[in-house]
Amino acid sequence: MGDVKCDHCHLVFNDSVMIKDNELNFCCKGCEGVYHLLKNDGLDSFYDKLGNKTILPPLDVHDDVQRFDTNSFEDTFIKNTEDGFKQIDLIIEGIHCAACIWLNEKVLYGTDGIVSANINFTNNKAKIIWNEKKIKLSDIILKIRSIGYNAYAYDASVADEQAVKSKRDYFIRMMVAIFASMNIMMLSVAKYTGFFTGIDDEIRQFIHLGEFILATPVLLYSGWIFFRGAYFGLKNRILNMDFLVSSGATLTYLYSLYILFGGKGESYFDSVTMIITFVLIGKYLEVIGKKSAVDTLDKIKSTIPLEAIVVANGIKKTVALDNINVGDIVEIRSGEKVCIDGKVIRGEGSFDESSLTGESIPVFKQKNDLLYSGTINNDSLIRYEVTKSYKDSTLNSIVTLLEDSLSSKPEIEYKANEISKGFTVSILTLSILTFTVWYFFGIDLGFNYDGASNFEKSFIVAISVIVIACPCALALATPIASLIGISELAKKGLLFKEAKFVETFAKADTLVLDKTGTITKGELKVKKMRIMDENIHKLNLLYSLLDASTHPISQSIKKELVKKYSLTLKELEEVKNIQAKGMVAKYKNVDEKSFSLVGGNCELMKEYNIHYKFNSSNSVYLFAINEKVIATFELADEIKEDAKELIDDAKENGLDVVMLTGDNNIVASLIASKVGIKNYISNIDPIGKADYIKKLKKEGKTVVMAGDGINDSVALSLSDVSVAMGNSADITISVSDVVLLNNSLKSLKQAFSISRRTYKFIKQNLFISLLYNLVTIPLAMAGLVIPLVAALSMSLSSLLVVANSMRIKIKD
Amino acid sequence: MINDTLLMMLIVGLIVSFAILGMFIWGAKDGQFDDGDKMMDGLLFDSTEDLNDAVNKEEKIEESKKGQKKSESPK
Repeated sequence: MGDVKCDHCHLVFNDSVMIKDNELNFCCKGCEGVYHLLKNDGLDSFYDKLGNKTILPPLDVHDDVQRFDTNSFEDTFIKNTEDGFKQIDLIIEGIHCAACIWLNEKVLYGTDGIVSANINFTNNKAKIIWNEKKIKLSDIILKIRSIGYNAYAYDASVADEQAVKSKRDYFIRMMVAIFASMNIMMLSVAKYTGFFTGIDDEIRQFIHLGEFILATPVLLYSGWIFFRGAYFGLKNRILNMDFLVSSGATLTYLYSLYILFGGKGESYFDSVTMIITFVLIGKYLEVIGKKSAVDTLDKIKSTIPLEAIVVANGIKKTVALDNINVGDIVEIRSGEKVCIDGKVIRGEGSFDESSLTGESIPVFKQKNDLLYSGTINNDSLIRYEVTKSYKDSTLNSIVTLLEDSLSSKPEIEYKANEISKGFTVSILTLSILTFTVWYFFGIDLGFNYDGASNFEKSFIVAISVIVIACPCALALATPIASLIGISELAKKGLLFKEAKFVETFAKADTLVLDKTGTITKGELKVKKMRIMDENIHKLNLLYSLLDASTHPISQSIKKELVKKYSLTLKELEEVKNIQAKGMVAKYKNVDEKSFSLVGGNCELMKEYNIHYKFNSSNSVYLFAINEKVIATFELADEIKEDAKELIDDAKENGLDVVMLTGDNNIVASLIASKVGIKNYISNIDPIGKADYIKKLKKEGKTVVMAGDGINDSVALSLSDVSVAMGNSADITISVSDVVLLNNSLKSLKQAFSISRRTYKFIKQNLFISLLYNLVTIPLAMAGLVIPLVAALSMSLSSLLVVANSMRIKIKD
Repeated sequence: MINDTLLMMLIVGLIVSFAILGMFIWGAKDGQFDDGDKMMDGLLFDSTEDLNDAVNKEEKIEESKKGQKKSESPK
């Protein structure tokens, strides 16, 4: 029996596990259900559209849909449209390809009462407008679920709408600029050919006119962003890049305008458009990054429940989170997410705190222990007293902090490019100086301007200083080198979201690392396995007991066992989960003989009067049948192979290496000493991590931070450059500037070395353009810039810079 | 004479290209390019059925808007 494809989801499974239905094969009931539903409704062209792609089997959701019709839900999410319909923003889960979008839209449009449904493929957000007299929202959600997807509501915040708007705005501005520069390029070919072969004055005037028509919207419309940025910069007394771009472009434009209307010389409308276009493309990429960050934030928010069950005077009531006060008693069932901080008063159970601490092992909580929002109740019914309002609760404060840091990130931009900034400031000063000297002293080196007035002459010469020096070298020196650096880094599995981080990376003096998932692999692995009794029946019982638990330790041992033995599941009875200790169960064989099975840590063994001495600093799992231990396992989180290499290299290059972890001090010190980190902080929560980064930055350090969990995301968003592991949570990747696609710390080491080399070339480039300008600027100041020199210096300096940057590729 | 022809060609060329740019901006403002992935895959859905669906969708929106106005007006 070979492997066959499921006819709905196209995933391949072994033939023996498939559900047979005539000629069809399905991997699960869900797939079968959806397949027949689509067939009956005539929607089976979905499978043609799907082609050879696979999708996930339908999600099995048993969540109550009634909450979609409650008042508190309506107040938060549902809006009224002008036409008297209702509108909601949803995030649809399970969308993989265009066929999924097609299916969802088709089904929704086919439903009576739904006015319009528009699903965005890129971020899986949907906007649905419906007539509430004809259909209830809960029915719409059920409709989406019936075809195998799920939907969450999210609050389409002001930030979201603005992000969409500004993305569209930048997109149009950028396209106008690109359109104009492509056309100007064609005209320039004619112009420069004419320059060398001779051209009719009248035709040159036509070309100038065409260039003027194309350049004007670019400067005034596309370039508007830079004027605005420069204005806000000046208001805060900062001479930013926007100021330099806008002043350079405007002056060049004015100069060209003067040439167009009767002046002598060449116009430079083409440089105006080129510069604005190049810088604008960079800005647009930044806006896209911000937009996708907003999308991920919405995804997190949509999974936070809106209500909790409050118990007052013995009556259970569903209350919206905002209305829950400190001191209220909240009840939480197994599998639910804690949405408000509190203290346990009744019940005990294990909690998955991985979203806060990054540790995958559940934490056991009993009476008087604190619960944090964002953690998940694994297995029991718990009542707790609320100690913080929803607004101050951990999860909400993380989301708020992230929002804040996303909106304040551009701050770094001012610090970047300091060299080029100083360079251009001096050019501006020089040009003003030139004007003054020419105007007041009337210097004339004999160059003929056809009887232009003294003011005119001085003005042309002053502007030509800027035109010659400013645009090309400045605009290209950094970006070209960074671009080549980034493509080199991408080949090594490092994704830089923006070019400027290469420079920051090279300048960094502090490296902050998260422990779990960054220095270590973040999963428990069986380190030592000792099986005293290799009887396959006994191992089958162990396998069955492990299978009954979802605890990471059980799962990891199960994986290891399956590798060595071929095992089958047995039916166990009275399976009991002993919190944070292990599992017990009973088994009756064919002869009705009963066995008691105990599997767990040393404490559990003691509890069941099984005496077995076992000392280990790792996590331990023992398995006993009828009070006799037959197998022992030791598990530990492994350190990544190349962690030490990275840390040694970082230290060699003068970086301070710090490790932050939510884990306890013993584990932290052990790992730290193994990889050679002196400086580490343990037992730190997400906000503590963020505060630590803030403190470092206040001390004037340039911080590179690498992490992988939601618990690191706030700290990451605050650091100068943040690195996310490729297998990180979505939110972590979206707040990060660099993504390590292969999770290897060796790549991080390479990131440092390539960035440093790139930065070296950036400095070289700036030096080359500076040298070039040292030659051309005096000529320009002397009024000797004849068109030939201008054309040469414009293209030759750029070519030199580009050629030099190519050298980044050559070494290693 | 040649110069006049060149000027005319330049002007006509610019007018045509600005018209195309205008249409592009129209599409962008309507949100046609908001969802890059969907736009690219939209090319694949061009069968008669898909085009009919698109028309039906627009008609349904119009109809439900009309229906809503009718039900409101008697009040």
